[in-house]
Amino acid sequence: MAERMTLNVPLNRVEGDLELRVELESGVVADAWSSGTMYRGFERLLVGRGALDGLVITPRICGICTTSHLTAAALALDMVAGVQPPPDAVRIRNVALMAEHIQSDVRHGVLMFMPDFTNPAYRAQPLYEEAVRRYRPLKGEAAIEVIKETKRVLEIVAILGGQWPHSSYMVPGGIVSVPGTSDLLQCRQLLQRYRGWYERRILGCTVERWLEVHTASDLAAWLDEREAHRSSELGFYLRFARAIGLHKLGRGHGHFLSYGSLELPEGTQVRGRKGGDTLVPAGFARGTQVDGFEQEQIAEHVAHSWYVDYAGGKHPFEGETRPYATGQESKKYSWAKAPRYDGLPAETGPLAEMVIAGHPLFTDLVARDGPNVFVRELARLARPTELIPAMEAWLAETTGDGKFYVSPGEVVEGTGFGLTQAGRGALGHWVKIENQKIAHYQIITPTAWNASPRDSDGVRGPWEEALIGTQVKDVANPVELGHVVRSFDACLVCTVHAASRGRSLGEATF
Amino acid sequence: MSTRHTSLYWLQCGGCGGDTMSLLGIESPDLAEMLDLLDVELLWHPSLSNGSPGEHRALVERLLSGEQQLDVLCVEGAIIRGPGGTGMYDTMFGRPKKDLVAGLARRAGVVVAVGTCAAFGGISGDGEVEATGAQFTKREEGGFLGKAFRARSGLSVINLPGCPVQGEVVAGTLAAAINGAPLPLNRYHMPLEWYGMLVHQGCTRNEYHEYRVEEHDFGEKGCMFFFLGCYGPLAYGPCNKILWNRRSSKTRVGVPCFGCTRPDFPMPEPFFKTRNIEGVPLVVPEGVDRAHYLAYKGMAAAAAPQRLRNRENRV
Repeated sequence: MAERMTLNVPLNRVEGDLELRVELESGVVADAWSSGTMYRGFERLLVGRGALDGLVITPRICGICTTSHLTAAALALDMVAGVQPPPDAVRIRNVALMAEHIQSDVRHGVLMFMPDFTNPAYRAQPLYEEAVRRYRPLKGEAAIEVIKETKRVLEIVAILGGQWPHSSYMVPGGIVSVPGTSDLLQCRQLLQRYRGWYERRILGCTVERWLEVHTASDLAAWLDEREAHRSSELGFYLRFARAIGLHKLGRGHGHFLSYGSLELPEGTQVRGRKGGDTLVPAGFARGTQVDGFEQEQIAEHVAHSWYVDYAGGKHPFEGETRPYATGQESKKYSWAKAPRYDGLPAETGPLAEMVIAGHPLFTDLVARDGPNVFVRELARLARPTELIPAMEAWLAETTGDGKFYVSPGEVVEGTGFGLTQAGRGALGHWVKIENQKIAHYQIITPTAWNASPRDSDGVRGPWEEALIGTQVKDVANPVELGHVVRSFDACLVCTVHAASRGRSLGEATF
Repeated sequence: MSTRHTSLYWLQCGGCGGDTMSLLGIESPDLAEMLDLLDVELLWHPSLSNGSPGEHRALVERLLSGEQQLDVLCVEGAIIRGPGGTGMYDTMFGRPKKDLVAGLARRAGVVVAVGTCAAFGGISGDGEVEATGAQFTKREEGGFLGKAFRARSGLSVINLPGCPVQGEVVAGTLAAAINGAPLPLNRYHMPLEWYGMLVHQGCTRNEYHEYRVEEHDFGEKGCMFFFLGCYGPLAYGPCNKILWNRRSSKTRVGVPCFGCTRPDFPMPEPFFKTRNIEGVPLVVPEGVDRAHYLAYKGMAAAAAPQRLRNRENRV
């Protein structure tokens, strides 16, 4: 008879605390539950506040995705006010959001994901010593450089918006700042400098060379082509990930979601991979089969979440957030709701963006192996190559001391939504304003999609599903579970409490 | 400075992690260099450490028992007491983090509340989770640890508010504490070194303020105090002395100060708007007599030079 065992996995970190429970059968994950264990009540706190207050309060939901929340809040208010920001305001909004992404992608890889390569579980790997040399927290060569360099690219956000994190320079109608020519030139220099470092240290080649990698075999050839490719962080990642089989971990449903992001301003030379009016296209994909996206298809379920029950799912304009803590007594087990697209769970993040944009390399990799830990993290490490050239173009196209704001007047009432792509994926704010006050505010974060609990039909959320079938070699050190969850950029330090038939088996780490 | 390492434990409670992000942004020295220079042994930081949870739990037990000396305890985020005072909304190792805060604070040489949530409750304090600051609830002294609390060194909790607080302020406070340098505090336990000045001080819009040339809508050059809800003259902090990310500040680029270092942040009134009586702010700068302020501002507006009225001065 197969040995059954339950692992409880409390995860903590910036987006609210999370806890995983997995059931093992003969060392393989047979079922999984993902619980958001922290309720902060932001949506209820916003109701009754001033019409523009979402611009101040929502960036403070997350210290990492702060500019993404500001973007979603401002887009929603643009719609409420019926105002189109001038083209240069669109450029500057985009550039600041992209600066946040290109630092976050690198920080996640080197400071959050790769330190798992120094786990004692990999002591026998030939590359282990090198991994320790690169990724030991605060001491590893790569860790030290990433701390040094990523903060510098954020100076772009400070020049354009005053500070990072937590500024509120985007408002309905554009931005409040009026960057001058020399401000824009400084931003271009900061970006140029970051590109040089990213190419040298992270990529090992130019952005342009990387963009020629179109297939899995191109990728293998690229790795062998030069020592600089093999020794870059991305090159080392390819070698280490292959050695430990990350491409066989964390498959999931294979549904991808992107809301689309980075509106193309009027008159720009920049084009998205698929044309359209955003650099990052919106879409929903089953495997590599990409369809259009309709925001009306989003609904949130609460059957397994600690909120007052309703039947099926509700669109966020009709959604409600009424906490109802039943503890462990019912089927409810999470403070996260379960968002669904057209009734289906979907993963979101850089890989979803790549697949939906039709990026040839990631389409090929997903077509071969399906989604997995390896390709998810690779998409994140490589995403700056999709963003940096457009940032350069937009900074060059912007007219210093030009037009960055159209006044919408007082925002009195109306309804709007703001959809964008945060570092971790699809982020949406749905807002109703009445009498210059917020009457309704619902937010669906990327982690709500990825870490979703079961829905009304009992269907698992994306990372619950991705954990199924994972072989845990050592229950005292289930590093494999950490890889799966971290590949969604959960950004978590994880504690594992392992228990079998009520007896504690002790503590372990990812 | 003592000859052994200074041990530091960083606890994240109910917050967004923004104060850590802000601290990662410091330069000359950067975070890793600063810890080296101060000879700090970082026992644990949830975003940066890689130790196993087993090791972490054992460390916490050693800290609680006093076997491992704790020199500095940094708390980030509000202390969550809900539901019903149990603290079970925010737990670590299955026990409420609030109990951990109490146990560690008792052992610590110095307790630093990093950010407005940890100091006063902040945004977290406005939710339904019964959150509070370490030694204050908004303006009221006491908070979670109580008015009488003193760390091993005899100091009350050192409050470093800001949403987030500038990393340089955290670094400077650690340097002072470790070197035993005096760090005088105001009535809200905020070091005068950084909170002895208003956000207004050093703002590049000061000349516009001086002559009452005010912005009525975003993107005009001018002062934002009279109409756009700027708390610069009403909030203490070094945002315009120590520039953000070494570059700028919100008020410099035209974002009103939201008063995020104040014990009562976030204030209930709508942001981006000044409450007015006949075009003059309802709340005038601290310590200023309203009648005198009205007279002064009237004369200042009359004396405003043409270059400011025409918004020719850059900001």
